[in-house]
Amino acid sequence: MDFENYYEISLVADFIIAHNFSRVALQFPDELLKDSRKVVSALRQELHRPLQNSDESRATAKLYVMADTTYGSCCVDEVGAAHVKADCIIHYGHSCLSPTTTIPAFCVFGKAPLKASNCAESLYNYGVKSGKPVLVLFGLEYAHGMPDIKEALNVEAMRFHDSNSGFQIHFANVTNSVITPSASMKLENRHLMLNGEQDNNEDSSQKTDTKFRLGGLGWSLPEGHRTEDYLLFWIGLDNSAFSNFILTFNSCEIVRYDAIEGCLKTDVSQQAKILKRRYYLVEKAKDANMVGILVGTLGVAGYLDMIHQMTELVTRAGKKAYTFLMGKPNPAKLANFPECDVFIYVSCAQTALLDSKEFLAPIITPFEALIAFNRGSQWTGAYSMEFQDVIASQPAEVEDETESRFSFFQGGYVEDFKLQEGKEEKDAVLSLVNVTEKALLLQNKETELLSRRDAKSGAEFFAARSYQGLEIHSSDSFPEPFLIGRTGKASGYEDEQIS
Amino acid sequence: MVKFTAEELRKIMDLKHNIRNMSVIAHVDHGKSTLTDSLVAAAGIIAQEVAGDVRMTDTRADEAERGITIKSTGISLYYEMSDEALKNYKGERQGNVYLINLIDSPGHVDFSSEVTAALRITDGALVVVDCVEGVCVQTETVLRQALGERIRPVLTVNKMDRCFLELQVDGEEAYQTFQRVIENANVIMATYEDPLLGDVQVYPEKGTVAFSAGLHGWAFTLTNFAKMYASKFGVDESKMMERLWGENFFDPATRRWTTKNTGSPTCKRGFVQFCYEPIKQIINTCMNDQKDKLWPMLQKLGVTMKSEERELMGKALMKRVMQTWLPASNALLEMMIFHLPSPSKAQRYRVENLYEGPLDDPYANAIRNCDPEGPLMLYVSKMIPASDKGRFFAFGRVFSGKVSTGLKVRIMGPNYVPGERKDLYVKNVQRTVIWMGKKQETVEDVPCGNTVAMVGLDQFITKNATLTNEKEVDAHPIRAMKFSVSPVVRVAVQCKVASDLPKLVEGLKRLAKSDPMVVCTIEESGEHIIAGAGELHLEICLKDLQEDFMGGAEISKSDPVVSFRETVLEKSCRVVMSKSPNKHNRLYMEARPMEDGLAEAIDDGRIGTRDDPKNRAKILSEEFGWDKDLAKKIWCFGPETTGPNMVVDMCKGVQYLNEIKDSVVAGFQWASREGALAEENMRGICFEIRDVVLHADAIHRGGGQVIPTARRVIYASQLTAKPRLLEPVYLVEIQAPEQALGGIYSVLNQKRGHVFEELQRPGTPLYNIKAYLPVIESFGFSSSLRAATSGQAFPQSVFDHWDMIPSDPLESGTQAAQHVAVIRKRKGLKEQITPLSDYEDKL
Repeated sequence: MDFENYYEISLVADFIIAHNFSRVALQFPDELLKDSRKVVSALRQELHRPLQNSDESRATAKLYVMADTTYGSCCVDEVGAAHVKADCIIHYGHSCLSPTTTIPAFCVFGKAPLKASNCAESLYNYGVKSGKPVLVLFGLEYAHGMPDIKEALNVEAMRFHDSNSGFQIHFANVTNSVITPSASMKLENRHLMLNGEQDNNEDSSQKTDTKFRLGGLGWSLPEGHRTEDYLLFWIGLDNSAFSNFILTFNSCEIVRYDAIEGCLKTDVSQQAKILKRRYYLVEKAKDANMVGILVGTLGVAGYLDMIHQMTELVTRAGKKAYTFLMGKPNPAKLANFPECDVFIYVSCAQTALLDSKEFLAPIITPFEALIAFNRGSQWTGAYSMEFQDVIASQPAEVEDETESRFSFFQGGYVEDFKLQEGKEEKDAVLSLVNVTEKALLLQNKETELLSRRDAKSGAEFFAARSYQGLEIHSSDSFPEPFLIGRTGKASGYEDEQIS
Repeated sequence: MVKFTAEELRKIMDLKHNIRNMSVIAHVDHGKSTLTDSLVAAAGIIAQEVAGDVRMTDTRADEAERGITIKSTGISLYYEMSDEALKNYKGERQGNVYLINLIDSPGHVDFSSEVTAALRITDGALVVVDCVEGVCVQTETVLRQALGERIRPVLTVNKMDRCFLELQVDGEEAYQTFQRVIENANVIMATYEDPLLGDVQVYPEKGTVAFSAGLHGWAFTLTNFAKMYASKFGVDESKMMERLWGENFFDPATRRWTTKNTGSPTCKRGFVQFCYEPIKQIINTCMNDQKDKLWPMLQKLGVTMKSEERELMGKALMKRVMQTWLPASNALLEMMIFHLPSPSKAQRYRVENLYEGPLDDPYANAIRNCDPEGPLMLYVSKMIPASDKGRFFAFGRVFSGKVSTGLKVRIMGPNYVPGERKDLYVKNVQRTVIWMGKKQETVEDVPCGNTVAMVGLDQFITKNATLTNEKEVDAHPIRAMKFSVSPVVRVAVQCKVASDLPKLVEGLKRLAKSDPMVVCTIEESGEHIIAGAGELHLEICLKDLQEDFMGGAEISKSDPVVSFRETVLEKSCRVVMSKSPNKHNRLYMEARPMEDGLAEAIDDGRIGTRDDPKNRAKILSEEFGWDKDLAKKIWCFGPETTGPNMVVDMCKGVQYLNEIKDSVVAGFQWASREGALAEENMRGICFEIRDVVLHADAIHRGGGQVIPTARRVIYASQLTAKPRLLEPVYLVEIQAPEQALGGIYSVLNQKRGHVFEELQRPGTPLYNIKAYLPVIESFGFSSSLRAATSGQAFPQSVFDHWDMIPSDPLESGTQAAQHVAVIRKRKGLKEQITPLSDYEDKL
């Protein structure tokens, strides 16, 4: 495929010119970085191409290349762009199309090769066989191939002369490859999406069509239809975008057309396993005393609200919350905070699932945190990865404290004790008892008795550690004798023979 | 029949000297429930005529269907003694009316936890032994448990009717059998010498052994007969009782007592002459319908029959006659009242077993004195499902003070630590209830020394708890119960319809409450697991879950799963090293198996984090040959800080070592919970830290660098030390006649079991076989055994130990490797064990 077309140079140039941007940041993922120089020169050429009837170049925009994003490369790196005071970002490669906060962005998905006829044939055959209406979803890099597929599908239907056999098909569309940071629009979007997603109550009564949006795709279904009634046909790779869909619509039948191998994959049991595993993590999170909130994005709109909401949620559940900003989390970074029993990762939907045996503590998404820390909410199977949904959904009223919480790890009732404390103050006598109880409490010298699991805050955890910092032996006032240390590199000091 | 009302009952509850709390314990099928029913009959809850046919205490449909007891059930009985009967009673008493709180417990080993829960809240135990089968495994287990709790036992030799009707043995032979049964029981009891409890052995001549026929509703102690004969011989009762047991012979021809059999044909043992023969005679007369002979005999014995009863024939007649002559309730209840302690007496010595706190604080004193005016101390030992769906009664025993309707109580859960607020609730008791078989009666309050059921606490108590008054903030909880069985058999459950998950979660919660032993957990893969003591236990649990606790929502269950342990066979073949992610820190470690018995010592809590390091060093050096200094260098135990693995610091002169201790410990807890082979717990591995190289900058040797490294080096040392799998093994006891032995052996062979003891029961054609059987092979064992022996053999399995699977799990195709593959697949792990090279680094 030709280079200009792949990177949509002219389209990008038109976009820049139309909006009259002066400083433009080009964001590349690692795998496309090698093309950045060519893209810049091509783009510059296109921008500086003189207008037809004057000597002036079409635009004077300055171009900057950004690479190695702090968070997921699918998100628009607004902070990076702000460094060069860019007023627009062109995002290349795989994108999650998460809304931005301040800077408009234009996304170039790239164009992955797709055999339209083969795909259409598989789609048609499978669709007819299943007898369900089909909803076609696709990876954004395949968006360019949709018209071809539609056409090929018509051909296919013609071939079997049964174009009216009741085979229904709906195509999703790319909502918009331009991300505009407009608050009002975002709200509207969210509203639409939630209406569409409410499984059981069809309250989209006034509209004729229900509109859905997820991961940059939008589609509309006739009134009264739910996505669950459809066979979802995914064209693309088995990547995080696909996981997003499959977990959100976990009760749908989903097949995947692998464009590289050119065949259908119907086995999605791996995804079902992921969902069960997430359920386990939620249960585990319920037992946590200390929760770390990991900031996994500085761009996605509403991330600050989300962090606040999470902090509030955790505190209300009687647990201690700490916020961490550490770029892309890895096991070594997180293990520096062994006091946290669970981490909540606030990020865009497609980088949200971080699950590896290597992590000391589980990492959950804000949606899962909502289930875990909101008493009375239950894991019903409905799932959402985009945290904007979580913001929009009002936390369920905290259930009346008639029952203690049951932990599947301790096999019994456990109470999150801070939760209890606040309530009991009502009774004056009792609060007096409580105060006196705490006023004079023999501090146990044997700090070992305080085990890791019981610590309620970072300070308590620290107090339970056997090593608490520099130890000064007052009896020994002499300075340490001078010693010669090791020399050489850490990979093998000079006194160490490489065996 | 005694007129029986809740008010009457409540009144006697205040008479702490006139209360007896006792449990009925025995091997399965020795007739506990049937015997209990005849006692219940006497307290007036059910009519006398149906006693023996209706199992009053088996309240569940499946219990009735299977004919076994599954849940222990409490009943309060009321019994009035005559002055005559009490004239020899030496202890304290308040009038002649007695209250007996009786708990019938299951006999099947899978439900032993119910027995444990029952024993905790009682002071005495009626041990029921089948006179033919004798003392069996479960008799022994529960007896030991009872004595461990300082429960005084009395014995009844049950199913006497079998002697007379089935076996038709003569008197001397029967005596020998009974004597052996009693002796066997005494052998067990003799090992528990306890100065406070005194001699706990049982003696027929002292009236602590009864002879009963539960099915026919009659029983006697030697007291009954001694009373009858004492006046006749002109000696006092106690003298007479001694003559009725042991080496005392009477020759009616010479009317003389001797201590040896004189050899004359009329010379017979006292017991035979005066107890066994008369009963036999009566029974035979009844069975042969020789009514003309019967009535004069009965008249002589002072037994009068109602006219309609005189019309009965054969067995029914015999039953009626025996019930009238030697009513089971009288003999047994009198034995209990005479020989089992009242709460006030028992709590004096049980306080040490019960109370966790200092034995001189007000709470200990209140328990010791069974003080109704003292602070409330109540132990909830189990939760009983109420008819109100989803709700439970909290069932327990008041040890001091009073619990009343509406009282605000402090609930201390099993994880409560005095001074902290963990596992602690303050709630109202909505209602206090006393239990009477199938009926419950609400009462205003219940004073100490009694059992009680409470409404309104079930949402804060999972299985057991200690209750005290709201303001008693200094009270320590009552010691947790120790179970003799462990939940080794696990099954994964899931709902057929995904949206039923909340129902399943709710159901599991209720299941966890309803059974003292069952454990409901969740696996890493997100599957819900139910763990129980055995196949039968699980079967019952699953049935309860589906039918009672989930409202019939469909669930599917996996095949039973057994959890394994990972261990090592030898010391690591070399010192292994792992580098931290930044390559600046290095940990050198070796793994070695622990000395024999050390893992068990840690399990039992003899060695652990909490005990004094000096004491620990002493045990380790004396029993396990450790160097004394080394014993002080144990960093921690794991998993869960108490498990049977440890980390020992063996390095010398390493700088900053103390800094990384917490990180290494964290890594070790993690790694020992999920071993390298199949992410099963480790067991019996000692990890020795050989050397440590650390970066000079503290920031580069933080937890982030050291925790993952510690985990990797532990895996590397495990893999280099010949890792092995341990599988759980049952001790199986089977009782069967000789002709069934062949079948038993072949089934055991098939199932990888091996017999280590085979004994013939003296005086019977029965054999007692003890064998070890891997738990994983035990599924379907009972049924195949039944099939192979045409139902003559009945096994009792109880978890005994962990056994090493000798084959190498790292070598493909071996049995151990197959197990590992199965577990890894189930857990959704990669098929291959992560190779050593991923954990070990080279310089």
